Order: sequence, then C-alpha cells, then structure tokens
Amino acid sequence: MSVKELQDITAELPKGFLRQRWHVYVIILVIVLLVLVLATSIGSVSVPFSTTFSILADKLPFVDITPSWSVNTETIIFDIRLPRVLMAGLVGAALAIAGATYQGLFRNPLADPYLIGVAQGASLGAVIGFLLPVSWNLAGFGLVPLLAFAGALLATTTVYLLARVGKTLPMTTLILAGVALSALLSSIVSYLVISSGESMKAIVFWLMGSFALSDWSEVGVVLPYVAVGVIVIILFGRMLNVMQLDEEQAQQLGVNVERLKIILLAAATLITAASVSFVGTIGFVGIIIPHAVRLVWGSDHRSLLPLAVLIGAIFMILADLIARTVLAPTEIPIGVITAICGAPFFLYLLRRRKKAIF
Amino acid sequence: MIELEMQNVSLGYDHNPILRDLNLKVSPGELVGLIGPNGCGKSTLIKAFSHIINPLAGTILVDGRVISRIPRRELSRMVGVVPQIPLLPSTFSAFEIVLMGRNPHLGLFQSEGPRDWNLALQAMEKTATRSLANRYVNELSGGEIQCLLIARALVQETRAILLDEPTANLDIGRQVEILDLMEEQCHNQNLAVLAALHDLNLAGQYCDRLILLHNGSIHAEGTPSEVVTNSNIKEVYGAENCVYTHPVNGLPIVLVGAAGK
Repeated sequence: MSVKELQDITAELPKGFLRQRWHVYVIILVIVLLVLVLATSIGSVSVPFSTTFSILADKLPFVDITPSWSVNTETIIFDIRLPRVLMAGLVGAALAIAGATYQGLFRNPLADPYLIGVAQGASLGAVIGFLLPVSWNLAGFGLVPLLAFAGALLATTTVYLLARVGKTLPMTTLILAGVALSALLSSIVSYLVISSGESMKAIVFWLMGSFALSDWSEVGVVLPYVAVGVIVIILFGRMLNVMQLDEEQAQQLGVNVERLKIILLAAATLITAASVSFVGTIGFVGIIIPHAVRLVWGSDHRSLLPLAVLIGAIFMILADLIARTVLAPTEIPIGVITAICGAPFFLYLLRRRKKAIF
Repeated sequence: MIELEMQNVSLGYDHNPILRDLNLKVSPGELVGLIGPNGCGKSTLIKAFSHIINPLAGTILVDGRVISRIPRRELSRMVGVVPQIPLLPSTFSAFEIVLMGRNPHLGLFQSEGPRDWNLALQAMEKTATRSLANRYVNELSGGEIQCLLIARALVQETRAILLDEPTANLDIGRQVEILDLMEEQCHNQNLAVLAALHDLNLAGQYCDRLILLHNGSIHAEGTPSEVVTNSNIKEVYGAENCVYTHPVNGLPIVLVGAAGK
C-alpha cells in the first residue's frame, strides 16, 4: 500500500479514531515516577525530594552518584519506604486491572476483583493464620500470607467448580456462586474475629488493609505474579472488546469464549490473590479505578487495561501516603482512605460524563 | 468455495429435538432461503452452522470438514453470521463494531491496520452505513444496526454467510438494498448464503432455493415456485388460497385476504 493510499484511508476514518495515546502513556508514566519519589520522600523523617531522587537514581545500573547523604537516610529511603511504596503501586495496579478484567468478562459494572470469593477466602485464611500458635515461612510467604493466598485460591476454585456446567461456565452462575460462598466465608470470618480475643485488633487491621509490613521480600514475591498477570491480560484486550458483544457473537467472531474466560479469570484471580495475601483486602480500588479510566479515556480495553495499571498504582501510592502521614505516628487503615478520597472524586467524574461508559 | 451441509442432523436444546433428521446442502454461489412459521427452528439451524450449539445427532460439514473439529478462529474465517438484532454495547462506535469483523484475522499481538480500516469503510459504504461511522450504537435504530451487522459480516471476508432475519427491522427500501447486496455478493463472489427469512415474498423473489421447515423437519424444498404453493402454505401456515404469480417475473407472491373467506 502506497503512502498516498494510506493517507486517503486515514483521512476517511471517523474523527478521533486514530488518536494516538502514546503521549498519554508517557505523561502518566512520568507521573507514576514522580509520585513514587514524592511518596518515598515524605514520612516521619522528612528527606528532601532531590536527595530521595539521588538515592534512588544511584541504585539504578550505570548511574553512580557520590553520596551526600547519611547511611541512615539511605536505609530509610531504600530499605523501609521504597519497598512499601512499590508494594502499594503493585497492589493498586493489580487490583485495578483485575477489576477492569472482571467487569469486562462479566459485562457488569458492579464487578470487582473480589466478586468470586478471593477476598473472603483470603480473609479466612489470614484469620486462621493469626489464630494458629505457630510461625512458618515458605517460598517467601509467611504463615498469614501463605494461608491467605491458599484460602483465596481455594475459594475461587470452589466457586468455579460449583458454577461449571459441562464444558461451559455461565457467568451468571459464577457470580451467584461467588456471592453465596463469599457470604458463607465472611460469616465464618466474623465469628472468628469476635472470638479471637487479643489478636482482634491485628486481624481487623489486616482485613482493612495496610502496607505497614511491606518489605523487599514481599515485593519480590508479588512482583512476578503481577507482572505476568498484567501482561497476559493486556494481550487479550481486543478479545475482551469483542466479548462486550454477547458470547454468541464473540464466538462467531472467532473468540474461543470458554478458553478466554478461564485464562482471564485465572490471571486476574492470581494477581488479586497474591496482592491481598500480603496487604489485606483493600476495597474500592478494583471497582472505581477502571470506571474512572473509562470516564476519562473511553472503554476500549486495549487502552483501558494498561491505563488502569498506571492509574491504580498512582492512586494506591497516594492513598498509602495519606494513610501513614495524616495521623502520624498512627496509621489509618488503607481501605478507609481509598474510600474517603476515591468516592468523591469518582462521583465528580460520574457527574460530568457525557456518554455511556459501560 | 465453501459448501455447508447437514447429514441426518437433529437439533435442539437439552436433548429435546426441535428439528429431526435434516439433510440439506448450501452450495457456493447459491442463496438459500430458510422459511417456516415462528419457532420452527430457523435460528437454531443458523446456530448449528456457526457451531454455537452442537447437533444432538448427525454430522454438520463446513467445506467438507466436521464442524466441531474446526477451531473457532478458523471457522469464523469460513462462516460469517448476521445475528438477529442483538443488544450491542453502547460504548463502541458503529465503525468499531464493524471493525470487530476483522478479529478472526488478527493474531494476539496484532492490531487492525490500514487494510482492515479500508475493508470496514468499504463494507459500510455497501450497506449505506458509512455516515453512521462516528455514532455510538445506542443512538442507532434497529434497522441501522442490522445493516452494521451485515457490514461486519462482509468485513469478516468469509466464503459463507448465515443471516438470521436480516430484513426484519428494515423499511421496504432497505430490504431491497440489503437483499440486492446479498444476492450480488453471493453470485459474483460465489458465496454460500443461507438466510432465515420470515417474509415469504422477499424469500420468493431473491432466493435461488427455499427450504420450508415445519413440525421439526423439512416440509418442502426447491425453487420458490415449487415451495411457495397454495397447498404448502395452507399446510404450514393455515392460510388458504393466497399464492399468486408476480405479474412481471412470474415468481410466487403471497397475498392474504385477497381470496376472501
């Protein structure tokens, strides 16, 4: 095809169709980095932005900066705050893309990453972990995260097996099975919490989510899950668009619907499970960030999914920053912040929307 | 060239057959009309040829291959479907909906390119939907959506097309446009076309061959003049003496009430 022909075709395309998004990605990526450095600078010991930047830059390969800072400062920035900030970013990204995936698969704007039992399964596992009088470590998981991870996977697998009919997986049945099993598990969790005695405060704090314990080893465990899951999900963006028709049309347009459901459910569930196992069941992000992205940049999954990753990361890093600084030295559970800050902003976006987003 | 064929096929849901022991064939370059009263199984037959449902018995062949052995993506490059007005998500523009017809031709790592855009624009031109390209589908009428779906099927570049009541929501001008287009595509490009139609007059005017379904089987099959007869129409629809001959082309037309009671 000649350049002339190409120009003729692109001139004919509907307005706005070819709008390139690269500058949006680049700008948001820069914001992610700025937020990351900013959040690492701020804390009980205040470190200047420039110093934080230098410390972090010094850690990059091929960059060598003569230290003008104390070893203590470096420890605070690099070993204490940075892993916490990174963890918040990872979890925010994971929950946001998992939420977008579930909403797309279920074609339901109310879907969130906890729809089919991940949160309740993880909670039950974690509570049991708190109540057991032993400690343990396996493949980087401590006892609480390990049981939370196992609980999350066990719960979703149960829901999946309950909902399966022959070779197909009807999405309505899956939602109903998820809601029912979640209710059952959460009543057990409530009972265990009430009767947990002195561990009650720690358990409730875990359930509402916190990055207070995040360190490099946790980042190292969660990162591979999130990285692989995010890449797999983003690859299937176009298929998810076609799935927004109905399942019959998607099949007639060449989508292997049953296989797609399993791949995407598995990927979204794994990254959610890996995230909540370490930081607790943080609510709100998974449902609201994807909608906020849709409101601003549209509903095409090929841009929605990567943008949800970036915006989710920014949102969670900032939420955690607020959680640990506003009432310092007391930490506010992160779930409280995500809802208090996120809800009004989301409602604002919702009010100024002009066209359908879902 | 693709041929669609059913050999001793029974179709239905939950083991209750609604169509039994079907034997039929749609050849390349042939426009076959599927007619019959409401609920006779026209849509079910369309779904079977696009492998949305499996037959309860018998063999369905596409291009001589057993349909259940053809991978989904490959099948959707062989057989395109225009479904009965589905609900479309309101978040996509008409152009994006048509472009989805390219999905079977794109790999996981691919994106639509100029050739795909061009195909979509041409198909929209042919179905008179070009001016709708920017509009969101929730702003469109049933007839406009139907034309978009036909454009989407053309973009799929398949050798066979299945249409489920493609003219149900169209005004008379659009009905003629769309069926002219299907007839032209079918005969010029040698496509095998199977269309479920409830309008017996349109079916009679456009189709090379008609298949009349009734009571779970093929009641009559042949040219329009052989199928649309007074006795067949009375047996299947209960309407008496309503078949006349088109004054210009001699094909059968159905007029109710003209014979009096």
